[in-house]
Amino acid sequence: MEIINNSPKYDVIVVGSGAGGGMATKILSDAGLKIALVEAGPYFDPANPDQMTQMKWPWESPRRGSGTTRAFGDFHMSYGHWKIEGEPYTIEKETNFRWWRSRMLGGRTNHWGRISLRFGPKDFKSKDYDGLGENWPISYDDIKPYYDKLDKLIGVFGTKENIFNEPDGFFLPPPKPRLHELFYIKGARKSGVTVIPSRLSILTKRINNTRGVCFYCGQCDRSCSAYADFSSSSCYVIPSLKGGMVDLYTNSMVVEVKTDKNGRATGVSYINKENGREYSIRGKVVVLAASACSSARILLNSKSKAHPDGLGNSSNLIGKYLHDSTGTGRSVFIPDLINRKTYNEDGVGGMHVYSPWWLDNKKLDFPRGYHIEIGRSFTMPEYGFGYNPNELNRFFGVKVGGYGDKLREDVKKYYGSTIGLSGRGEAIPRKDNYCEIDPDTKDKWGIPVLKFRYKWSDYEIKQVKHMHDTFEELAYNMGGIALGNKPTKEQNYGISAPGEIIHEVGTTRMGDDPYNSVVNKYERLHDVDNVYVVDGGPFVSQADKNPTWTIMALSWRTSEYIIDQLKKQNI
Amino acid sequence: MDRRETIKNILLGSIGSSVLLESCVSSLDNKVLDKIWEYQYGRTSEEKKRDDKFLNSRFFSETELQTIEKIANIILPPNELGDINDAGVVELFEFIAKDWSTPAHNNYGEKVLRRGLIVFDELCIQKFGLKLLDCSKSQVKVLFDEISYENKSLKDQKESVKLFATYRGMIVTGYFTSEIGIKDLGYKGNTPNVWNGVPSEVLEQYIGIVSYDKEWIDKCVDQSKRGDIAKWDDEGNLLT
Repeated sequence: MEIINNSPKYDVIVVGSGAGGGMATKILSDAGLKIALVEAGPYFDPANPDQMTQMKWPWESPRRGSGTTRAFGDFHMSYGHWKIEGEPYTIEKETNFRWWRSRMLGGRTNHWGRISLRFGPKDFKSKDYDGLGENWPISYDDIKPYYDKLDKLIGVFGTKENIFNEPDGFFLPPPKPRLHELFYIKGARKSGVTVIPSRLSILTKRINNTRGVCFYCGQCDRSCSAYADFSSSSCYVIPSLKGGMVDLYTNSMVVEVKTDKNGRATGVSYINKENGREYSIRGKVVVLAASACSSARILLNSKSKAHPDGLGNSSNLIGKYLHDSTGTGRSVFIPDLINRKTYNEDGVGGMHVYSPWWLDNKKLDFPRGYHIEIGRSFTMPEYGFGYNPNELNRFFGVKVGGYGDKLREDVKKYYGSTIGLSGRGEAIPRKDNYCEIDPDTKDKWGIPVLKFRYKWSDYEIKQVKHMHDTFEELAYNMGGIALGNKPTKEQNYGISAPGEIIHEVGTTRMGDDPYNSVVNKYERLHDVDNVYVVDGGPFVSQADKNPTWTIMALSWRTSEYIIDQLKKQNI
Repeated sequence: MDRRETIKNILLGSIGSSVLLESCVSSLDNKVLDKIWEYQYGRTSEEKKRDDKFLNSRFFSETELQTIEKIANIILPPNELGDINDAGVVELFEFIAKDWSTPAHNNYGEKVLRRGLIVFDELCIQKFGLKLLDCSKSQVKVLFDEISYENKSLKDQKESVKLFATYRGMIVTGYFTSEIGIKDLGYKGNTPNVWNGVPSEVLEQYIGIVSYDKEWIDKCVDQSKRGDIAKWDDEGNLLT
């Protein structure tokens, strides 16, 4: 196919506009560099009335919000989920992986939980503690200044707690707990489980004059039209476009990084999804931020004489060490909360309290920790609400089922009396969990797709068993009843399928040794001096924290390094 | 001008002089058209196409829809806020039947929703010699009394019991996701507000069970200062 090349030459081409790419776009364009930002999805602005779902009622959808076209429901703000029409991926037999892709300006940052946790000192050096996996080539002290800057730039609420591996930051004040969260606090304290205010990037207080303050609709997963929550499009890209240094290419799916005969990058080629034709853009530096697996795919598809196994893949490690957080969940029924008086308890878009990891693994039969998230049920109904209107009757010896006016009364009686507990834990990265190019399958654009091979090990399965044991203890201590049966050993204790927690990282891991890692400590490919990866790919290990804050702190640090290198004319 | 009218005008305005489109519009069932204008909820063009396709086609016959309406009104009888039609429950059945009629949904519309009507009719004919729609309300209740409870001692629940549970689930969910259902439920959110903790009259109901502790609350946001721009000292202590 003929490749059309009519672009100007950019200082930096950034591929992907999510957390890592948006951060890089902001820092690099603020420094006066000319940027091409290439995004595979459409333009998105949560304030655009044609796109916004915030403040919609369930009856404004003909399916009442059910998840037919969006996995988490009609109002959820992600274009694309674990499946995208015409863009398949394949899976090695007897293994599993579910690959989430949000194809839109800002990517997944429009729908995520805004849980904004720093990695702690231990998280960068886990191998020193348990001998498993690999240490990062950097430490908490290297990244701390960027976490600090990020807190001040974006805003995250939380409290100073002085917990060694849960570093404090520059916090906005948190919202007061909801009623069911008081029950959780009570249960956690009785169980010896640490519980503190949550840390979310939602503005409980004004941070500048361009973003609004939270008005407590609880719908951050729909992306905030007042920009009171963090998303990359709202906070980085849309403001950066006003500076005149960024050319945004939307609906542009990057195929590969182009290189010259010496193997250095010269730019990227992409498919314009509107006309199906392939174009190229030239740039001095290429920054990949397409998401861990998409960036790995682009690199593996960028084959040349100089890089026969894919760009930057002399170590043969691109795609390897893929890992997601572990997860499982349980609902808890709290009889004290039946017949609740209703009031507006939407709060922020997420939990107001949570439990960071609180135990010492030396006394446990699994490595690494998990945190516990608390889910709401006193929420706006959507499809599925009241589907089993009186199943909780069984706890009172009353018949379940029936019909008539009593169903109405039963639904109202139990409304808000169950809460959700979810564990999110750290897995051990393994070389034999990976994605690679499937030579036999192409997507509708003609680009070879990824094949996944992923299995949990006993480490992760024992960890989620511990989660269920903890959930049951917590339920009991908050005066409640854990619903459903505890998943059995045969069910792997209910561990989520790999990819389901949407924290997948590790595919271009960072290290000092070029034989044992893909990028160096500045996220630059060992093999090529002008290609960087700033998404979750460089993560050596995904702690029991959500990855976004660390993706962005690293991307900021890398961006400063790129600016410095360009100034010194090293690239 | 109400919102629907506004949207209608915007749409017609954008259609402009296109005769083709206008003739399309005027030939449509007005009810269906109203629905298209009602559902403005941030769809992508692909999603909109899907919705429009289903809103412009029919799955259930008029008799089937009347049967669903009758079932729904018995499962959730009208109250002072309104009835099943006000809650749009029959329309929800009609839409889901098409929305979930793909092989990926195992042809839910045909295999579950229509199957339910067939099974309920068969049972009514066996009992009363009449289809459900022709039965009296009390006759239908005789049937529902038999199939609306699971028999835990049976390993395999009867098909009719499972189908009844599905119908009941869809009817209850349809009701409580409607404007009148949410009013009935008492949900007070989805509106801008300033959260300042659980109301004191609610907390009073839980004295001795749970309460706010001062140390925790002292760290929380002072809502009178939410508009002040945040500033910190070098140690991360908030100054404003």
